[in-house]
Amino acid sequence: MNAHIMTANTSPEAAPAPPVPALRVEDLSMWFGEGPTLNRVLEGLSLDVAPGEFISIVGPSGVGKTTLLRCFSGLIAPSAGSVYVGADPVRQPHPAVGVIFQDYSRSLLPWMNTVDNVAFPLEGRFDKKERRRRAEEALASVGLEGQGHKYPWEMSGGMQQRVAIARGLAYEAKILLMDEPFASVDAQTRFNLEDLVADLRRSLGLTVILVTHDIDEALYLSDRVVVLAGRPATVVEVLDTDFGDHRDQAATKADPRFGEARTNILGLLGH
Amino acid sequence: MAILRRVLEKGWLIVLLVAVWWIASADSSNVFFPPLSTVVATLWRDLGNGLLIGYLGFSLGNLALGLLIALVVGIGLGLLIGEIRWLREAVTPFVDFARSVPQAAIVPLIVGTFGLGPGPKIYTIAFACVFPILLNTIDGVRGIEPTVRRFGRVYRITPWRYFRRVVLPGALPQIFAGIRVALPIGITVMVVSELYAANRGVGFYILNSSSTFQLAQTWAGAVLVGVIGYAIALLFFRIERVSLRWYFRSGAMAE
Repeated sequence: MNAHIMTANTSPEAAPAPPVPALRVEDLSMWFGEGPTLNRVLEGLSLDVAPGEFISIVGPSGVGKTTLLRCFSGLIAPSAGSVYVGADPVRQPHPAVGVIFQDYSRSLLPWMNTVDNVAFPLEGRFDKKERRRRAEEALASVGLEGQGHKYPWEMSGGMQQRVAIARGLAYEAKILLMDEPFASVDAQTRFNLEDLVADLRRSLGLTVILVTHDIDEALYLSDRVVVLAGRPATVVEVLDTDFGDHRDQAATKADPRFGEARTNILGLLGH
Repeated sequence: MAILRRVLEKGWLIVLLVAVWWIASADSSNVFFPPLSTVVATLWRDLGNGLLIGYLGFSLGNLALGLLIALVVGIGLGLLIGEIRWLREAVTPFVDFARSVPQAAIVPLIVGTFGLGPGPKIYTIAFACVFPILLNTIDGVRGIEPTVRRFGRVYRITPWRYFRRVVLPGALPQIFAGIRVALPIGITVMVVSELYAANRGVGFYILNSSSTFQLAQTWAGAVLVGVIGYAIALLFFRIERVSLRWYFRSGAMAE
């Protein structure tokens, strides 16, 4: 956090520089093993994500999407290249980054009730009362007002994933990394959660990077869709979507341009 | 009447076995198998005159302290060994070696070396009880979901807080399973440790009576140890239910 304040204070007289991307990926490659067992997963990926932008990363399963996201979150270091959050090179998890995991039911702690789960990462930063206030506020913003006393295992999958999102919001993440977050909920719940994330992103000015195998979901939510393919995987296409700021599950997906974009991506993925 | 019915519904087998024992041994003149009525009368007498109460206090005090040491060492080391890979790799052979040593076999050594008094008995109980707790704690830590670990790192939970609020509660169901195994071992070793170089305690009572052919006392001591074991198991069950409420309730939820 201090780094942000310092850069803001030390550059008021400098010439207007191009805006610093929220997340920058420079020539990132990832491989595992060596010699005959060398497994090259990702090769030469570069990407700038603007503050407030919604980016989706799509590609066939096993292409390395989750690995890439783990590099962004600082959980693993890339074999070559670098990742920056703002001006900070990512070497370990960055305070501005929150992750929403695929298996939400396992990332929530079953021995804590919902409000304690959301407040837990704030321990050491705020006193108990303030943690609770922030957690309740975050729960309210995902539509779980007054549900804080429940335990995760008393909730449906969709509600659990809302709790996980609330935890990221209470943490004051500016960048949300989401790894297949809606892969294991039913279609109706999935649409509700997608609209929730779209609303939160707009109202809070969040930068979101979503990994998904669902092309419709990627197109519906994103400003840009990054298509990964190949072995090792490279960026084969970055697609701008221009369906406007206010999208609707039925109308947007019926837009002819939506269908074209979908066909385009399916073609890139070899269908 | 309702209470009597409940007791019979759950405890019919115990009632039946005691009745069979009582009747079968009623006319026994065998010195090694005195009538149960005599055993109970002896137990009642020695509890009443304060002899056994004093011995029991000594023995249970040793058991409590031995268990306490085993809990602190077993859980503390188990959390560290389970969480830290290089430590686990270095320590595992020693753990496997030490836990293969039969605890009863080293009792004479420890007691012989360190002499009378409660100290060596407490250490022996602790040594015997530490392994099931330690091994289960390690397993419990290892069983924590990788996603939970990633969550802790991404949300920058400090190591001490992560240990206390994530690893410990996450491993707690397994830790309790380890304590459940350790309790009867502790009771056995408590008795065995008093068979050597002791001048009081329940184990001493059993050995002393046996060597002076007071077999009713031997039986009384054995029955008493059994009853204590049962009472401790009941108490443990209550503590486990309260401490792991989330675990039992979430498990019931998943069914």
